[in-house]
Amino acid sequence: MKKIKKWFDSKSLIFPNKMYWFIIPALLMFTVFWILPIFQLFRYSLTNYNGITNNFRFVGLSNYKFLLRQGTILNSSKNTLIYTIVLVLGNNILALGLAILLNIKIKAKGLFRTIAYLPALFSPIVVGFIWSYVYMPDSGLIASLLNAFGFGAINFNILGNYDWAIYGVAIVEIWKRFGTTMIIYLAGLQTIDTSLIEASRIDGCNEWQIVRFIKLPLISASITINIVLSVIYGLKAFHYIFVMTNGGPGTATNTLMYQIYNIAFSEQMMGKASALAVVAFLVIITITIIMLIFMNKREVEL
Amino acid sequence: MNKSFGRKIAIYAVLTFFTAVIALPLIIVLSSSFRTPSNMQSHLKLFTEIDLQSYRIAFNTMNFPMKFINSIITTGGSVFVIVVIGTMVAYPISRIKNKFMRWLYYFFVAGLVIPAQMVIVPVTQMFNTLNIPETRFTPMIMFITCSLPFSTFLYTGFLKKIPVELEESAYIDGASLWVRLKDVVFPLLKPAHVAVIITQGLWIWNDYFFPMVFLTKSKFYTLPLGMIQFLGSKDNPAQWNILFAACILVVLPLIVAFSLMQKKFISGITAGSVKG
Repeated sequence: MKKIKKWFDSKSLIFPNKMYWFIIPALLMFTVFWILPIFQLFRYSLTNYNGITNNFRFVGLSNYKFLLRQGTILNSSKNTLIYTIVLVLGNNILALGLAILLNIKIKAKGLFRTIAYLPALFSPIVVGFIWSYVYMPDSGLIASLLNAFGFGAINFNILGNYDWAIYGVAIVEIWKRFGTTMIIYLAGLQTIDTSLIEASRIDGCNEWQIVRFIKLPLISASITINIVLSVIYGLKAFHYIFVMTNGGPGTATNTLMYQIYNIAFSEQMMGKASALAVVAFLVIITITIIMLIFMNKREVEL
Repeated sequence: MNKSFGRKIAIYAVLTFFTAVIALPLIIVLSSSFRTPSNMQSHLKLFTEIDLQSYRIAFNTMNFPMKFINSIITTGGSVFVIVVIGTMVAYPISRIKNKFMRWLYYFFVAGLVIPAQMVIVPVTQMFNTLNIPETRFTPMIMFITCSLPFSTFLYTGFLKKIPVELEESAYIDGASLWVRLKDVVFPLLKPAHVAVIITQGLWIWNDYFFPMVFLTKSKFYTLPLGMIQFLGSKDNPAQWNILFAACILVVLPLIVAFSLMQKKFISGITAGSVKG
């Protein structure tokens, strides 16, 4: 009892224990609508619950076995990982590169930043529609451009291609997130003291050395946050698959989140959806922990 | 001199290329939205026709005014609650220094990595168990809940930078705890409020997932949810101009807001990342 009191006591006049009341609304909502449901997932994943009748029964691990046998777990994990890797690399390399270019004093910097940020204002469903048109075979934007430049013989249909569809969808998310990521890098670059750059120039560093040994280490906080955000968004991959491909062709763009949604709401198999959600939960937690350990180490090294 | 001139040309070439990649789809959407629905010539011929017929059809099919009002209510209401309870929960977390509070902080922030689709099955079940009826406020519950990890994270970061001495002097002047939160701390958190309102407001305005799961009556639909009814017309080329007009209608309020408060948007995005 004494120990518990020691844990909670604020030991302060100005910040009395009364302050704990401020936590209540947020804690209550978060627990009821976010934490308890996560625990419920584990329970539902062992049942044949269908979302309508409440007289479901426990079926042991058969949901997991089913998903494993069907190859759903492996396929959707693989697609999610490809999507995440493409998003993290594409988004950060492009955004960092252009932020470094823009950081040199040039005209039209503000204009470019504004245009790059515009897609971030768009609802994912609108972005999905726009890119459905961009990727459309025959009359879409890319197909028309290929035609106009005389490459009409190429039958462009990235979303219909079993191997390339997942990359096509990931590019859409890069298009949407690029501007925001670049703005975060620009903000980091602007905090660098210009005298440091001048000093290194006097010491004979070339442009590449300045970027590699001065700028990158000094914006390691921005790099960390952008990579973490990209990983989180990548693991959440859902919207553009929902709007553009429905997981197809076949199961080529079935990510974990889309697959869970599909099993739950199209096939009404809540038990199986919950089982896949538990798997997704473990995948996400594992990747997050690996990422945190890696990031901690890297920031010290730099 | 010559070398730096060449480099400038190269930089502008790269920037122009990227501007084209980003902007071309948007320009084509805008240009095609001004065509009549039956105009089927190549979309690459920009602005050959200026006509509002597609807009009129999109406006009426999606019942724009009602969905617009629903979007305003949902976004405004959720953001207001988020600012209030986000400040409230972050205040003790940043001020009371003990193990429980540190644990509570990680408890909230860990929620950042959990996707909504993952927990949606038990969440809908929870709504059934609690007998929460379907109203235009139902999705707001989930918007507020999902926003708590980010807002707790952001407010705690900002609060730690506000000197405690300000509150100490207010305490000596006889201000109660509630008054200190309301009149001393809350106004000082203005940059954090801007960041929370911009980032969370943008996400809530644009999200279609929670409304799609919780709402069945079309009178409660928000703008992004109104777009879903166009999903079927994606395969029909005759519908594209109307679809593009609908896209512009949904995005227009945000473009207006963005052009009025561009500085706030940029600082809002960066605030969240720098504090981390």
